[in-house]
Amino acid sequence: MRRLAPLAIAAVCLFGPLAFIEARTWLTLTIAGLAMGMLVFLVAAGLTLIFGLMDVLNFAHGAVFSWGAYVGFSVVALVNRRWGWVDSPSLSQNALAVLLAIAAAMVVALGLGIALERVIVRPVYGRHMFQILITLGATIVLEELIRIGWGPNDQVMPVPLALQGSWDLADVIVLRVPVLAIGMGLLVYAGIQLVLARTRVGLIVRAGVENREMVQVMGHDIHRYFTGVFAAGSALAALGGLMWAVFRQSVSPAMGGEQLIFAFVVVIIGGLGSVTGSLLGALLVGLSYNYVAFLVPKAAIGVTMALMVVVLLARPAGLLGAGK
Amino acid sequence: MSYLRLAALAAFALVPLLGASFQVIDLAMKIALFATLVASYDILIGYTGIVSFGHAMFFGVGAYAVALALTRFGAPTYGHLMAGVLAGMAAGAVLAVVIATFSLRVRAIFFAMITLAFAEFAVILAVQWSELTGGEDGLSPRLPGLLAVGGDGGRLLGVPISSRLVAYYVVLAACLACFLAMARFVHSPLGRTLQAIRDNALRAEALGVRTFACQVAATTFASVVATVVGAGYAVWVRYVNPESTLGVPIMLDVLLMVIIGGIGTLYGGLVGAAFLVTARQSLPYLSRVGAALFPGSALAQALTERWLLYFGVLFILVVFFFPRGVLGTLRQASARRGSS
Amino acid sequence: MSEPLLEVEDVHTWIGQHHILQGVSLRTRPGAVTVLLGRNGAGKTTTLRTIVGLLHAARGAVRFEGRPIHRLPAYEVVRLGIGYVPEGQGIFATLSVDENLRVAMRREDAASRERLTAMRALFPDLARFAGRPAGTLSGGQKQMLAIARAFVNDNRLLLIDEPSKGLAPIVVEQLVVALRTVKRQTTVLLVEQNFAMAAALGDDFYLIDGGRTVHQGPMETLVRDQALKKRYLGV
Repeated sequence: MRRLAPLAIAAVCLFGPLAFIEARTWLTLTIAGLAMGMLVFLVAAGLTLIFGLMDVLNFAHGAVFSWGAYVGFSVVALVNRRWGWVDSPSLSQNALAVLLAIAAAMVVALGLGIALERVIVRPVYGRHMFQILITLGATIVLEELIRIGWGPNDQVMPVPLALQGSWDLADVIVLRVPVLAIGMGLLVYAGIQLVLARTRVGLIVRAGVENREMVQVMGHDIHRYFTGVFAAGSALAALGGLMWAVFRQSVSPAMGGEQLIFAFVVVIIGGLGSVTGSLLGALLVGLSYNYVAFLVPKAAIGVTMALMVVVLLARPAGLLGAGK
Repeated sequence: MSYLRLAALAAFALVPLLGASFQVIDLAMKIALFATLVASYDILIGYTGIVSFGHAMFFGVGAYAVALALTRFGAPTYGHLMAGVLAGMAAGAVLAVVIATFSLRVRAIFFAMITLAFAEFAVILAVQWSELTGGEDGLSPRLPGLLAVGGDGGRLLGVPISSRLVAYYVVLAACLACFLAMARFVHSPLGRTLQAIRDNALRAEALGVRTFACQVAATTFASVVATVVGAGYAVWVRYVNPESTLGVPIMLDVLLMVIIGGIGTLYGGLVGAAFLVTARQSLPYLSRVGAALFPGSALAQALTERWLLYFGVLFILVVFFFPRGVLGTLRQASARRGSS
Repeated sequence: MSEPLLEVEDVHTWIGQHHILQGVSLRTRPGAVTVLLGRNGAGKTTTLRTIVGLLHAARGAVRFEGRPIHRLPAYEVVRLGIGYVPEGQGIFATLSVDENLRVAMRREDAASRERLTAMRALFPDLARFAGRPAGTLSGGQKQMLAIARAFVNDNRLLLIDEPSKGLAPIVVEQLVVALRTVKRQTTVLLVEQNFAMAAALGDDFYLIDGGRTVHQGPMETLVRDQALKKRYLGV
């Protein structure tokens, strides 16, 4: 019964709106909603693992999201200026531009994550209030550095030609970027599950999420895993930021902060420490936001709040939470 | 200690009478307002141990309540003003009880995140419900009677009674009243119980304390004080919009101030507010200095303009090295000297 | 006594503001089972946790094979060859039985796998439920798993905290048999409230009261000394 409830909610959420929305619009909205969900999932996945394993509230996650977007933005702008890879119609050049941007963004985020964990977070283990305060401080600093380095205004994100536009499937216009985002999200989810289930590192992380102390007593230096998970989570957030920039075709210094709220809501809905829960929560939030934004634009954010409230009332530990 | 408080109060009271410029009076007023707001937040975070991100929302509720009362119901009168203030307090109380009852049952981190979500929601609501709230442009209430622009109450003891003067003292009195209420609250049995809960929740429960009820009470009290401060802000600034009264920037300011002043010290808010508000006001001069010293260097200009960067760094340093803030560290030092 | 394997010398431990251990000293003979006895709250678990490095010894020293270990973090202490089975077993409920064993293995090499096979022979349930989530095991099975985990590495010392707690008497009997087999290959420091079990397994004993070691000696002496048992154990 417990397993069915989340799926039931998902089904209602997905197919319910068909009652109010015409099928083709529904399809477009669904794809947009799934794409938005996937991008939020990228941010939420890292957040939920960081909290599950380390018991750390990482409010700097949004800033890393922004940094990922901006680093990617710079790389894309650079390769376009030098070699025209973005404006070119060649698929391979477009792909190369995107891959370079992703690689750069994730590498920078890994570095940021390691630095943040070692310098900012480690001294405040176990003290939630200080974690909140200090990661907020780090966010301020990181965001201001963006404003200094790239300017305080919103900027247009150049999107490779191959990603722009849409496909025409049986009279339905399907935008390319959202589909790419969905594919990427699924890949990342599969990758995370694979690492967690099949590798030794993943095994120890899973054990650590359940009982940090025992893992130490089994002879593993849990702090190395902390740094690793924090860095990996940051890399995912950066990827999410870059994809979000492509999705929205713009970058702004505060973009991370806005998405962080969504990510927190998703983590609460999905359950702390559960990656699958985050995926489910993210898709629910993305879908409901898009459907409602179409039907009653001003109520869109309210739906997200309402969803969180409903889930917390019915299941305080989250949909798939461990109830620690 | 209490001499310092009296001195501070005297300083606030005398500022407009000493012929200071409007900028200085405005500075003093803002310091007083934010000090009170921060103190009310300190009750939550320092005395009760609850981390909330929704506090700025109550400030905004108070400000909007007054602004709405004075703009949407015809020509403004003192009655409207009072009604606005009281409505703000009532709304704040109801909202606080609802949020607290719902959220305090979950784990502390959830509570922090939920309050953040609610605060964001409030901002969006204010922006989108523009027929009522004026959207992003906000509201510019006109104040009644003596408080209105150009109000002139003649002279008292040779001092011209302008609307600004009256507004200043009215709002200052309100802040003082709030501080007295908060000091009373902290030293009351409820206040002491809350500190016991903050220090060791399990033991308090074992001793039969109704933790949940106490926390709801504390949250409600602190939130109502915040609405009063918001009302005072609306009266002084005469302009209310989402950006200046709701949402994350205000919350970050409050956090900065409470950390610098000292968590759990109540009056630390004065120190924190004085520091932040003064720094903010003097920043245009700083960027001018920067531009003068390094003419033509965009980077240097950017570095001096983005003062928030330095606040962020300062914030981190204070959290690391002076987690008790200025006042807290001073109190700790004097306590140690006293006992040795 | 030949060189003691483990030496605890006048250790003091604080938890928060509470001075829990106020001078604990003990030695374990290699190849023997040493039992720590005492009332609830006397400081037995705290002693084990201090030895393994989960708690910090504010004063005193802990030496393993002559080497001081009281400043090492827990994960380094256990790598020296110490296994720890905490109260409540510390099983990872969401991981399978096999995964629990794998987490414990410091090196997935031939020697470890041999020991794993030996453990499976000793506790056949481990093989039978290899893929099941460890949380679905019975209390007794969990305890066997916990011991197997401690054994899968080449540990020369085992710290075991109240293994019989919450187990039915018949399961306790099985546990005693299992531990008797295990003790032949390693040195054990056992904390146990169940006096019968302690007497059945123990070679030496230490009595802890109020955070201090108050009495010690060979187990037979304690078994015969009613006054001592009554005073410190309420037995």
